[in-house]
Amino acid sequence: MSSQTDGVQVAPQSIRYFNQNLLRTLIYFIVLILVLFGAYRLFPYLMDALFMVVMAVVLTAVISPVIDFLEARGIRRAYGTVLFFGAIITLIALGVVKGLPALLEEVGKINSLFQSQGGESTIEGWLESINTRIGAFYPDFELSMETLTEMAAKFFSQIGGMVSGAISAGMTTVFVLIITLFFLVDGGRMMKRLIETVPNRYFEMALNISYQTQRQLTNFLRGQLLAATGVAVMSIIGLNLLNIIFDTNISGPFIIGSIAGLANMIPYIGPFIGMVPAIIVSLFNNMGDPAAAESFYYIIHIIVMFLLVQQIDNYLISPLVVSGSMQMHPLTVMLVILIGSQFGVLGMFLAVPVWGIIKVVVRELYQGLKGHHFI
Amino acid sequence: MSKKKIDFSYPIFESFTKKLKPSRSKTQLALANVRIFSDLSWQEIKTIEQSIHVRQYAPNEPIFKQGDPGSGMYIIVHGSVAIYLEMVNEEPQKVAELAEGDFFGEMALLDESPRSAAAIAMETSQIIGFYRPDLMNLLKTKPALGSKILLSLSEVLVTRLRATNEDLVKVSRNLKSYLDEEGDE
Repeated sequence: MSSQTDGVQVAPQSIRYFNQNLLRTLIYFIVLILVLFGAYRLFPYLMDALFMVVMAVVLTAVISPVIDFLEARGIRRAYGTVLFFGAIITLIALGVVKGLPALLEEVGKINSLFQSQGGESTIEGWLESINTRIGAFYPDFELSMETLTEMAAKFFSQIGGMVSGAISAGMTTVFVLIITLFFLVDGGRMMKRLIETVPNRYFEMALNISYQTQRQLTNFLRGQLLAATGVAVMSIIGLNLLNIIFDTNISGPFIIGSIAGLANMIPYIGPFIGMVPAIIVSLFNNMGDPAAAESFYYIIHIIVMFLLVQQIDNYLISPLVVSGSMQMHPLTVMLVILIGSQFGVLGMFLAVPVWGIIKVVVRELYQGLKGHHFI
Repeated sequence: MSKKKIDFSYPIFESFTKKLKPSRSKTQLALANVRIFSDLSWQEIKTIEQSIHVRQYAPNEPIFKQGDPGSGMYIIVHGSVAIYLEMVNEEPQKVAELAEGDFFGEMALLDESPRSAAAIAMETSQIIGFYRPDLMNLLKTKPALGSKILLSLSEVLVTRLRATNEDLVKVSRNLKSYLDEEGDE
């Protein structure tokens, strides 16, 4: 049936609606395909950007108490942030200035050792020692000079990739620091603008959730960082004591202790990861020492020292600084680390803190929705 | 040659005198009107202005419901608000009507307990919200200002507590005299 208006043939209303709806649906469909295609093409870049933002959020949560402290003492937020970053950059620069000559000296020592003893014979000596030791357990094992040369050639052929990787990591770090700087100075205002877009009905709830999440997140990350610092400091002291008392010969206790502190952020597995570098370094350092070769007591010393540090952390430091509400089931930790390992070593390290963040956000969201009778 | 008087009405002077005269926004004036902010300087009011949230409400739009967790106070800049008390098996009762400059819910800045009544905008209203997270952030970053607000809030509490005590004494006296009279009869 068709309708007639002022002599103009007009299609029935239902057909016009159908046509309009069809056109609208088609446009939506095309836009959706374009958006999905764009998202697929941009996915790697989006993931990179998201990673940088997450890292900046974590850093902001860790640093903001310092900036708040400075602001409470009358220093404007922007100046406080610049002051903090200035201090950190100065410390790093000092570390490089002081540390570089020491590193060059070490390299020079190794070079002179090779020149005085004849590099090849020294390496052959090491290979023989390694073959003898591992051969005791695996008789078929043999590491030859040729294999080592091949490995070295492979390593040097990959140096280009490593350099570009290092440059890319450096650029990412710079971007993360810049985003953190903006979050620290203007994060509050950004959050306020974002929350102001929430409709009146959910406004109070959104504000509370964002505040509680920020608070819990800061507490969680601060606790993790304090516990890691505690473990790192105790490990550095412990390694130095082992060197003095038992002559364990562990070089770079500062770096090894710091790794142990960082690894401590991974519950259950972290403490064992922290032990590995110390054991490897001491094994290599004591390779030429016949007294050390006879017994592996120094490894037991290292393990005992790390176990002691762990006990102090578990019963003294962590209960004081890490929020009790962030307890995780060992199985959850394993699964989370397994998922994190898909993103490399950094993914493994970040998996537990990121899981902690997700847990806090979900819990606060649930409590907020329940409190306001939305669920 | 007659002396010419200097004309101060020249535009440049006008703009200069305008600049000297401080201009206060409606939000600042509304904030200064609230008891807990009344002791603050204009500079401090300006700082508070950066923390608060100005919201627009449509007629009959709820600001909060009875039983919602309380998280802050509201100041009416423009419009009006009705306070309703919901009773079991009864229609909600209007217990108060608030107008421009009035404020409500300030106890929620200290206490997270559920709202004892519902607030609904009666007309298109502009309302300032100052919430506990805003106060907590102020205490963290501007402790002197945050403490001033807390002190004023305590004064309000003390005044109300004293009034409640006086009412309680009056009620107990009346009750006692009533019981005495009943006993005599």
